[in-house]
Amino acid sequence: MDGDIASQNADAANTEMIRLWRTWKTVLELLVDRGYEITEGELKITLDQFKDKFSDPLGYPDRNKMKTSARPTELMKQKYTPLPSKSNPDPQPDCGLIYVDFCPDSTAVGTKQVRTFNHFIDENNYHTGIFITQTPISPSAVRLLSGIPGRICEHFQEQDLLVNITRHELVPKHVLLSPEEKARLLERYRLKESQLPRIQVSDPVARYLGLRRGQVVKIIRKSETAGRYASYRWVI
Amino acid sequence: MTTPPDRAQQSTLKTSLPTAYAAVNAQQPRPAPPSELTPDEQEKYLLARPGATAQHLDIALQHAHQIQAQKDAENLILDRILDLVTLPTSPSADPAAPSAEDARTFKAALVPFRPSDYDNLTLERNYDQLCGYGLCPRRHRKEECGPGSQGSFKFKWGAKGSGPGGRGRSMDIVPQEKLEKWCSDDCAERALFIRVQLAEEPVWERRAGDKRNRNILLLEEARAKRMQETAAAATTGSSSKDVQGKEDVTAELDLGNLTLQDTNRGKELALERGDAGLVFRDGRVDVQIKEKERELHHPVAAPQLRPEDAAGGSIEGYVPSEDRGKQPADDGDVLDQI
Repeated sequence: MDGDIASQNADAANTEMIRLWRTWKTVLELLVDRGYEITEGELKITLDQFKDKFSDPLGYPDRNKMKTSARPTELMKQKYTPLPSKSNPDPQPDCGLIYVDFCPDSTAVGTKQVRTFNHFIDENNYHTGIFITQTPISPSAVRLLSGIPGRICEHFQEQDLLVNITRHELVPKHVLLSPEEKARLLERYRLKESQLPRIQVSDPVARYLGLRRGQVVKIIRKSETAGRYASYRWVI
Repeated sequence: MTTPPDRAQQSTLKTSLPTAYAAVNAQQPRPAPPSELTPDEQEKYLLARPGATAQHLDIALQHAHQIQAQKDAENLILDRILDLVTLPTSPSADPAAPSAEDARTFKAALVPFRPSDYDNLTLERNYDQLCGYGLCPRRHRKEECGPGSQGSFKFKWGAKGSGPGGRGRSMDIVPQEKLEKWCSDDCAERALFIRVQLAEEPVWERRAGDKRNRNILLLEEARAKRMQETAAAATTGSSSKDVQGKEDVTAELDLGNLTLQDTNRGKELALERGDAGLVFRDGRVDVQIKEKERELHHPVAAPQLRPEDAAGGSIEGYVPSEDRGKQPADDGDVLDQI
């Protein structure tokens, strides 16, 4: 009987390990898709490597160890640099170090944990933070998370990241336009940005790409007649 | 419009919202309405937008102020929730008889709350393992129902004789997470008594003189008050009738004095309606009534009969069929007849 319980335990640990491995991989893919520097080796981590790295003695995943940070690539910096204006002739890119943290608490994630996370982000001068929890967080915690001036904090649930939604065949490719490309697009079609179709910031793909209000994203779909079809959406 | 000291005072404040601010400190006067743009800024705005007038600018400003007020209020409520999680100050406090200091803080902090904000507070306290009632230092109930008990229900039995027809016991089926919000039924009653007193309206839409969230009573206070009132009613049962009669007479007299154009009463009425708003003192929007002046260029005269009207004429080129018989067979252009 003892053996039974032990094996059941091991099964549960293994299931959770696999789920978390998939979440971890999606997080890394998300960082790459946003334009952060992640090595190929990190991205292609196998389940065994993951187990070695993040399991506790009992075989369960140890979320305290699961944190990572990444630097933006030159390409990403370019995309996030606003156009020079008269008042700001030498604009700096509006992106920087990103920090990802898995919250170890399995229930009741409220303002307490979020405050610790916010404090950590602020203390270490990260530009962006991604807070990943197992359960939904309380409404006040959501508000608190988005409340640090000058920094961007996002929240995901582990189950939202089990599968990388952008790899699904029905999800078209979304490409963020740089301010320069956006200006050229508006010039080319003689549009004001408010005349473009829109996409919400809370859209799953927009959340995945970390889009911000005012940006324009190019959506490339397959088309039977034209091969591919590009449309543009303004993030609101 | 705004004097420099006022502006300095405003900048030190976390919020520009009069009602929320008044709640923080009732002694201080209401701040002036949000400051206008300086003439330079106004000019810049108007230059950048051809076709825009000062009126457009006003409307844009009004909306901007409203949005800002809303954001400030939400931040204020969040701060209050974070503060209230730490109440009561002493770990041995009795929820039935809280210290005067705690009770005052609690009530003052609840002024900008809506019931939904109050629920957030309860949730936040529960996440801290505390009872959902703000003045209770105990831990909330944790009912063990075995593994996988999430989302289960519980039977709740009332006191003996509380059932239908005064016999048996009343029975309720309650979701477990509802039961676990508080430490005991007493605290649940206290907490829900506070909740029903909160106004549904968000604080940024409330009127300036709104009293609803101002005098919240704790359950114990309300009970004591009612006891007093019943006692008072018992002793002065006979005399209260006379007072009632007198009041009726004075009300009638007041009605007689009412006129339509009473500026003083008009102001009171505006306050009551909430027209003394955030941005425009005189009302929601700045309404200016102007009579359109029409100029008469020629003297007015009655219409006269013209020769073509003799047979009734045409209606926008159409000649009614009764007259058609008199017309030439080829039915020439109607215009020729006119």
